Amino acid sequence: MKKIKNFRYRHLLLLFSLCAVILSALTGCTSAKADSRIQITFWHEMTGPAQVQLTKFVKEFNQSQHKYTVVPQFEGNYNEAVQKILNTHGTSASPAVFQSMDISTSQIYSSGYTTPVQKFITADNYDVSKISAVARAFYSKNGQQLSMPFNTSQPVLYYNATLLKKYGITPPPVDPSYSDITRVAQQLYERSGKKVKGLSVEIYGWLFEQFLANAGESLANNQDGHAGTPTAVNFTGTAATTTMKWIQENIKHGSFMNYGSGTSASANEMAGFLSGKLGMFLQSSADISQLTAGMKDQLGITYYPHPDGQKSNGVSIGGASLWISNDKSTTVQRGAWEFIKYLMKSQNQAAWQAATGYLALNKDSQNEPVLQKLYQKTPAAKIPSQQLARTTPNNTNSGIFMQGLIQERTITQTAMEQIYNGKNVTSALQDAEKQMNSYVQTTNKANK
Amino acid sequence: MNKNITGPNFQRLGQLFVLILLALFILIPFLLGFWTSLLPTADISKGSLWSSHISLDNYYTAITQTPIIRYLFNSLVISFFTMAAQLLFCSMSAYAFVFLEFKGRNTLFYVFLATMMLPFEAEVIPNFVTVRNMGLLNHYAVMIIPFLTSAFGTFMLRQSFLQIPGELKEASEIEGLSHWRFYASVVMPYSRISLFTLAAYSFLASWNQYLWPMLTTFSDDFRPVQDGLRQLQSQESFNNWGMIQASAAIVVIPTLIVLFIGQHYFKSGLNEGAVK
Amino acid sequence: MDAPITNKQSQTHYKPKGNKKPLTVGLSYKKELRERLYALVFLGPSLLILTIFVFFPMLRTLYLSFFLTNSVGKPTVFIGLQNYFSLLTSTAYLHSLQATFIYVIAVSCLTLVLGLLLAQTASQKIRGISFFRTVFSGTMGVSVSVAAIFWLFMFNPSVGLLDQLANLFHLPVINWLTQPGWAMTAVVISTVWMNLGFTFLIFFGALQSVPTTFYEAAQIEGVSKRYQFFHITLPMISPTLFFVSIITLIESFKSFGLIDLMTAGGPDNATNLLVYRIYQDAFLSGNYGLASTESVILALMIAFFTFIQFKVLEKRVNY
Repeated sequence: MKKIKNFRYRHLLLLFSLCAVILSALTGCTSAKADSRIQITFWHEMTGPAQVQLTKFVKEFNQSQHKYTVVPQFEGNYNEAVQKILNTHGTSASPAVFQSMDISTSQIYSSGYTTPVQKFITADNYDVSKISAVARAFYSKNGQQLSMPFNTSQPVLYYNATLLKKYGITPPPVDPSYSDITRVAQQLYERSGKKVKGLSVEIYGWLFEQFLANAGESLANNQDGHAGTPTAVNFTGTAATTTMKWIQENIKHGSFMNYGSGTSASANEMAGFLSGKLGMFLQSSADISQLTAGMKDQLGITYYPHPDGQKSNGVSIGGASLWISNDKSTTVQRGAWEFIKYLMKSQNQAAWQAATGYLALNKDSQNEPVLQKLYQKTPAAKIPSQQLARTTPNNTNSGIFMQGLIQERTITQTAMEQIYNGKNVTSALQDAEKQMNSYVQTTNKANK
Repeated sequence: MNKNITGPNFQRLGQLFVLILLALFILIPFLLGFWTSLLPTADISKGSLWSSHISLDNYYTAITQTPIIRYLFNSLVISFFTMAAQLLFCSMSAYAFVFLEFKGRNTLFYVFLATMMLPFEAEVIPNFVTVRNMGLLNHYAVMIIPFLTSAFGTFMLRQSFLQIPGELKEASEIEGLSHWRFYASVVMPYSRISLFTLAAYSFLASWNQYLWPMLTTFSDDFRPVQDGLRQLQSQESFNNWGMIQASAAIVVIPTLIVLFIGQHYFKSGLNEGAVK
Repeated sequence: MDAPITNKQSQTHYKPKGNKKPLTVGLSYKKELRERLYALVFLGPSLLILTIFVFFPMLRTLYLSFFLTNSVGKPTVFIGLQNYFSLLTSTAYLHSLQATFIYVIAVSCLTLVLGLLLAQTASQKIRGISFFRTVFSGTMGVSVSVAAIFWLFMFNPSVGLLDQLANLFHLPVINWLTQPGWAMTAVVISTVWMNLGFTFLIFFGALQSVPTTFYEAAQIEGVSKRYQFFHITLPMISPTLFFVSIITLIESFKSFGLIDLMTAGGPDNATNLLVYRIYQDAFLSGNYGLASTESVILALMIAFFTFIQFKVLEKRVNY
């Protein structure tokens, strides 16, 4: 009896080792890639058409020369990527060049994990004057370019022009105030027999920041951090309160659609807009290409709305920039820089805007045929660039230089969620402000 | 038994109703998932779920345009090695707790038990730093090495080893079998049902890992399927529902098939466990 | 996930067999040394792994919980218990605790009740019952991300099935994942759905093991079905019942995947369960000190429930 058991057991063992051998052989095959080129790992957070276009650029770059191979890797959303970048620094898993969002600039810079692109600009005598000054300024410190602005967007208001026409509603003006938007939203909701929601503002901290910027109010003290490390935030000023009350008024009326927050929120928002169930929404200009591709109706675009009774101060840019890690060899860093230069080429920037809706940062791009064609087909596509062009940069609309802005977004988003679900505006904002202030104090203490 | 069949008609109808209701609750998400995986996304986003444009296009797209097969392969590798290692190391430590006599055995056993009280989720921060310092980030090893053994597996196998008749051990001592021989040729074959259960358990546990791989993998070359699906879902800013449902189906269909084939064995194993 | 095993466990716990006599004088010094060497070889690998990945990190987490950490995660300022104070006075954290308890209790209760109902229904001898048994165990093969994708589609506000049905019957449309109460409901439903397959199998196995003679005797005495269920079935399967409830409880405390995929902790932190909050504070905000404190609190709670499980199981063996 014992013998039989032994026999079976041996069989099992054999089977096991066989499986192990096959598996290890397979892993060996797939991971062994013979390539004499220098590998440049590139981390990005682009989704949808932007990812498609970016992958295309990478492919073209790899074909255009024989020295480097750029390997793109998608790392999830902007928030996730920041800690991944900081956490992997100095290991073999870390990227050579990475994309990191606007509000992480201060944090990435102070980590000391990157080589400022200024070093390569100077070495190459690279002509930066071709690159949009507003965008460059956002990512530089003391006249030194820290990173290269890449995907740069403007927040705008989208509306379904065909739908408004159908119900005989005058579209919002190019530079609308809150009450202009309210009017259109409510008319649309009522005249459609409550079938079409008028307006949506995604629960997104970026949009909250832009409301303050456009009203000319600082979100953090020390002039949004441009004059020193901020020690307190301002969520309870007139701008924030007025805006949130305006949204709540629309929610009460019923014309407002709340899609929530997070990745699926913006996807659902866009799906709602494309299927004609939503008339207007505030979102990044980066959505333009998806909207024009997916929409049968005519698309309308206006500037970001501003509070009544004042002129708009202009919004800051959004998006992300490209950084070069300093934990890789000089050759790898050089390769990363070559790739960045490639992306900034006039025709590539034009293709980028045409494919995504992010603004072309190279001034020569405007003359490229791709963009000319786009403007001819969809004149509204010009609006974001025009909004950017008419904005005079000042300390309230040039971004916020402070650490812990991811926390700021989490907290303001929670406040927005509470407000959207009916909580008193003032108390929600006060709670958020209190929370953020204590966070700022701890952060400053920990990083002293 | 007879009562159920010969009972009043309305009672049987009631039972059938409850059965069907419960079955629907379980089935609908599956069926809807599979159904939408056959539809073009354009139809889904218009809300016309009763479309007649049925095709396998989404599956084709998922397989050719996304690394879903690679994700599956990664998961297979990780789960397989985790399973094999746990079978080996858990059985070895369980053997020590049952058949070896040494000072501090009981204390050590309680120490093992204590680890079952500490959730891995509460330890990810230092563990991340550890694997980073070991240079394991973004590799299969990072998802296998921390799970090479488990206190739970040791505990379970110990229970099973305790069932081995003492006479066997005595006989082996008389025959002069070494511990290794006794372990390999008597203990292991004798406990194969428990080993099989542990294998299934550790394979599944590894297959379902989500948080840890999400923190430690950074490229599609090593990402397991759970996080791969997350990746696919978050990349599709345009909600390509058809393709996402198809990827989910690609992941779930093999497990369902294995489950249905293995169910018979699994159930009898279960009953055996329960009846004992 | 581990029920079949512990079914067995509960019956055979701590029963030393005859072959383990205490160390006797007859055992030579040389043999003792050899046994020790063997113990080292047999236990070594497991001990090493557990030390590196379980014991050390727990101590390290405890250590980190007394510090502020800087932007790259290094502990910089020792602050004693301040992290604990600020957590236990933070409305957001208390909110998370509350949400976790609601979630854990709702998931555990529903999983148990529905699992038992499924098992009881499937134990009836009706024609075609094996089809239903197969269906009921179906969700066992579903992993967390697949479950999340299936249910995200069900709850989707523009194309999801639930809202299409609501439209069809002119019911008010629910924004499942963007309203706090409904989001929690949605997450609970999905988790229960995912748990059911396994729970069903365990309960079904347990029900099958209740000797039929008991029911036959009850039927001869004309006892009602309900009486049979509460006075025969439930007591007979109580070890399984207890085991499944504790496991479900502990597993729901550790829920992460469904939350991450379905709600990301929102809306208004309504589904921001403890593990998700740890992830958020550590791996999104880079606040490792605070996240360590949260980890310690989580570990304490889970340790408590595991301890109860051990205790009760031990008692059960002694009856």
